[in-house]
Amino acid sequence: MILSVRDLKVSFRTDDGIVRAIDGVSFDLAEGEILGVVGESGSGKTVSLLAVMGLITDPNAVIEGSIRYKGRELVGLPASELRLLRGNEIAMIFQDPMTALTPVYTIGWQIAEQIRAHQRISKAAAMKRVEELLAEVNFPNPHEAMSRYPHQLSGGMRQRAVIAMALSCSPALLVADEPTTALDVTVQAGILDLVRKLRATHNSAVVFITHDMGVVSELADRVMVMYAGRIVERGSRQDLFADSLHPYTRALLGSIPPLTGDKPHRLPAIPGSPPSLLRLPKGCAFAPRCPVRYEPCDLGKPALGDGNHAAACFRTAQP
Amino acid sequence: MSARMQGTDQPILETRALGKRFSIGTRFSSEGRRLVHAVDNVSLTVQRGETLGLVGESGCGKSTLARCLVRLYDITEGQLLFEGEDITGKSLAGLRPFRRRLQMVFQDPSASLNPRRRVGDLVAEPLRVHGKLGAKAIRERVVELFDLVGLLPDHVVRYPHEFSGGQRQRVGIARAIALNPDLVVLDEPVSALDVSVQAQIVNLLADLQEKLKLTYVFIAHDLSVVRQVSNRIAVMYLGSIVEEGPSEAVFSAPAHPYSQALISAVPVVETTPGGRRRRIILSGDVPSPLNPPTGCRFHPRCPVAQERCARERPALVEHKAGRKVACHFPTI
Repeated sequence: MILSVRDLKVSFRTDDGIVRAIDGVSFDLAEGEILGVVGESGSGKTVSLLAVMGLITDPNAVIEGSIRYKGRELVGLPASELRLLRGNEIAMIFQDPMTALTPVYTIGWQIAEQIRAHQRISKAAAMKRVEELLAEVNFPNPHEAMSRYPHQLSGGMRQRAVIAMALSCSPALLVADEPTTALDVTVQAGILDLVRKLRATHNSAVVFITHDMGVVSELADRVMVMYAGRIVERGSRQDLFADSLHPYTRALLGSIPPLTGDKPHRLPAIPGSPPSLLRLPKGCAFAPRCPVRYEPCDLGKPALGDGNHAAACFRTAQP
Repeated sequence: MSARMQGTDQPILETRALGKRFSIGTRFSSEGRRLVHAVDNVSLTVQRGETLGLVGESGCGKSTLARCLVRLYDITEGQLLFEGEDITGKSLAGLRPFRRRLQMVFQDPSASLNPRRRVGDLVAEPLRVHGKLGAKAIRERVVELFDLVGLLPDHVVRYPHEFSGGQRQRVGIARAIALNPDLVVLDEPVSALDVSVQAQIVNLLADLQEKLKLTYVFIAHDLSVVRQVSNRIAVMYLGSIVEEGPSEAVFSAPAHPYSQALISAVPVVETTPGGRRRRIILSGDVPSPLNPPTGCRFHPRCPVAQERCARERPALVEHKAGRKVACHFPTI
């Protein structure tokens, strides 16, 4: 296992009380595997991965649990040691490439800086490597692109530059947080292709966060569905989409209008909206919106079963 | 050009070679003052009671076109007709009777609702500006509108920040239908919402259309949502319409290479392994409208482009009944 997360809990102290953004998340990631994390805003998908990266620096945050990277515990590791891992062995791609690039330096300079922060090579050698990387992420003219500033590139090209940066040290683990959400579908298709190619060439493990079920089903080997800070269902792509167990997963899949075939007269919508983390129900967080809720749902929180395909639901028998 | 006055046949909204240019830069900037053709030569008709879906990627001019349709922008070329009457050049005062019948819903409800005013007040505003209702009648109408869009009567005293995204969009919709409009232009009405809430709003819009006999122009980049709501769709690329036709026909057999690539690029949930659709991946990016390519504007990225495409710009031509394509080599 390249990454093992056990019972991760992240809470934030706020003026309105303690917000538990992540409430007991456990998962494993094998080498070369693509794990899709799906959830709506506030489901905790981003926070859980920021915790893995050691990027939660808010003094009001409390992180509990265990995050092991290649057997090494990351929770409580000093910032200086985390910094050696981050960017080198673990890389991250964010939703908005503009936040990951500085506007005042060229693309080439920024990627070279990243390489030289982790490897002892000359500037010229670093620049040569940058050109190779930009070619790898399908820049039509990599040499020319090196001297470009971020504002001179389109959104898709910026995201490619950030991916080139993330790849510069051949990371063993790549965390991608909604990397295609801000992009158009035709550009997104190219980026998804790229992620698949990288997994094939570098054998990197990828955690891909998205709210788009379609993207996950195109890309992921295994999928984790999150709701209100907990994993509600986990399984292989095939299991999860062909044979989903949790009512939330089913409802979410059902509420997406189909692109082919007959269209329903009305969409089977989920009533209500995702709960506020400050006022979570005592029982299952999805219960107020759930079509198959019964008494036990209001009393306690269902646990996520063991096994490769499991759902946190009282109604659903384990497969 | 005389408007056809044959009663039912007359489109509720029609554009004739409509264009919108923006002037950017000043004479002091390095390239001088330049014109961007955001919308170029768009001729569309919208029939009463239908939903016309407008799709395309960011920067293709769909939002600019939407704003032209409700005259939030001044139109620089061509004509805009509402029920056969030319409203292209009407003054603000002259537009007022039309504004009541031509409304718009915006993408981001938190940006289009004033955070410092109660939502009941926001919904009442169009009634105060346009209507002749008294204070009591307005209050009753607001409660009625809240009921129509699925909000509770006591929500009227709340502020926008007290609502979830989906509820805020309901407020935006209540405000748009307050004056019983005939046509509503919806610019990405569900894009900012959580996936689990999108379906609610799509259903609400369908219910309202049925109840209030509304006509919609529905703009979205999410193709499956557009397919769900639209009778007809128009695909835009770089300011122009490249394909137009009945939604079912265009989605099942797109005729323009760009529509084909766009529809094939949508990620969909596949449960059968190996049953994956063929995907067309376009090279390059959407060119800048400041410097559009010669000939067909899609030719630099087109997988089937030939030499003729670089020279000659294809016109939007009707190939089959109701199906128009702007391509020299359409697959129809």
